[in-house]
Amino acid sequence: MKALYKKEVMQLLNSPVGFTVPIIFALFLGYLFTKDVFVIGSASMQSFFSVAPWLLFILIPALSMRSISEEKKTNTIEVLLTLPLSESQIVFAKCASIFSIVAITLGLTLSIPLVFGFLAKLYFPEIIVGYIGLLLLSLSYLSFSLFVSSKLSNQIAAFAVSVITLFLITTLSSDFLSSILPKVAQDFLLFASPILHLENFAKGIIDIRSTLYFVIFTLVFYLLTIKELKKRT
Amino acid sequence: MIELRNVAKKFGIKAAISDLSFTVNEGEIVGFVGPNGAGKTTTMRLITGLLKPSEGTVRLFDQDPISQRLSVLPRLGYLPENNPLPLDMKVQEYLEYISSVKKEVSLDKIVRELNIADVYEKRMEQLSRGYRQRVGLAAALCGKPDILLLDEPTSGLDPIEQDVIKDLIQKLAKKRSVIFSTHILSEIEDVATRVLIINRGALLFDGPKPKGKGSVELLFKKLIKKS
Repeated sequence: MKALYKKEVMQLLNSPVGFTVPIIFALFLGYLFTKDVFVIGSASMQSFFSVAPWLLFILIPALSMRSISEEKKTNTIEVLLTLPLSESQIVFAKCASIFSIVAITLGLTLSIPLVFGFLAKLYFPEIIVGYIGLLLLSLSYLSFSLFVSSKLSNQIAAFAVSVITLFLITTLSSDFLSSILPKVAQDFLLFASPILHLENFAKGIIDIRSTLYFVIFTLVFYLLTIKELKKRT
Repeated sequence: MIELRNVAKKFGIKAAISDLSFTVNEGEIVGFVGPNGAGKTTTMRLITGLLKPSEGTVRLFDQDPISQRLSVLPRLGYLPENNPLPLDMKVQEYLEYISSVKKEVSLDKIVRELNIADVYEKRMEQLSRGYRQRVGLAAALCGKPDILLLDEPTSGLDPIEQDVIKDLIQKLAKKRSVIFSTHILSEIEDVATRVLIINRGALLFDGPKPKGKGSVELLFKKLIKKS
């Protein structure tokens, strides 16, 4: 499994997407933070935490789109599935490799508050909890994108389906939808929206319900991906 | 080592394999021959557990290749049809990855045996078809499998490269059972000890390789015409 993880990380870093997208992502989020510092005069991570999920639902499908779909398209899936690895080991290795790149990308953005922490007063426990929330959100997006990649043999289609679906899930809590739906539906959609759950973390609160939401979301699609790989027609 | 009993495989309403039964024992070199679309690849995929039979049973080392895949796969080496390889990887990276998963400790020996040291540092996309085939064979050989399943290993190769691969198969077969599929009849005459002839999903012949030059071709043409 370690060998598969290593191979996946290497393939991601050798691909243009795996190399450039995380750097652009980190630079853009870094810009958002420093903009607040110099333009508004406030050293706050709030704008960072509110924009990051909107970028993650593009970054993560971009990194995971080829993971399984390309194996299907080029038929290397036949080699992979005849190696002495269980389907759960395969999914874990693929998931862990993409998550490592995402975590490194988020880690790069952490350098900015660390630098500004010497100049301004930043409350670090709140920032750390916010990052934990972003990592949990990333895992949810990742397990979903990996599942879509396992269903389709075209990586562009896998990317499009993941981005559109994650966009819809992310906008569930939008004011527009809330205003046209009945109260029960509104409450459900608000609960189902990852943005709402991330908000708690961004405020520095580790909410059990929100943690469970991310864990269950991740597990459901993670297990569905394993099931998809186990499928023999 | 391999046993197929009354195996049928349908894709929708189309039957790719019907009532296929044969066994492969230790030390055999089985040439699996049939025209394009005869069901050779489907049979290979059924043996490896990549496909589930619609009817009948497939046993590999007396175990089910799907539900007990983790105990049978370490003993199996498989070269799929068209030899799919990750073209963005270097030969070295790919073989080190495969050997690590299959716990192969003597990769250097395999590299020497298959004569791929010259291209070891190259990317897969830079290799000729012949070299790619050797890399695919090297990957299949990792882990010292008891059975090698080679799906059209000489397909698309020029005659010189075909001879190289045929010699390699003969060399590799000294230590293990080999089943290779092909539609090139001369390969069967040169390499196999036993012949399976398949057409339209049905087994037409199962027996030792007929003796004499051109005898496999004669038998094949006769049986195909009849079917």
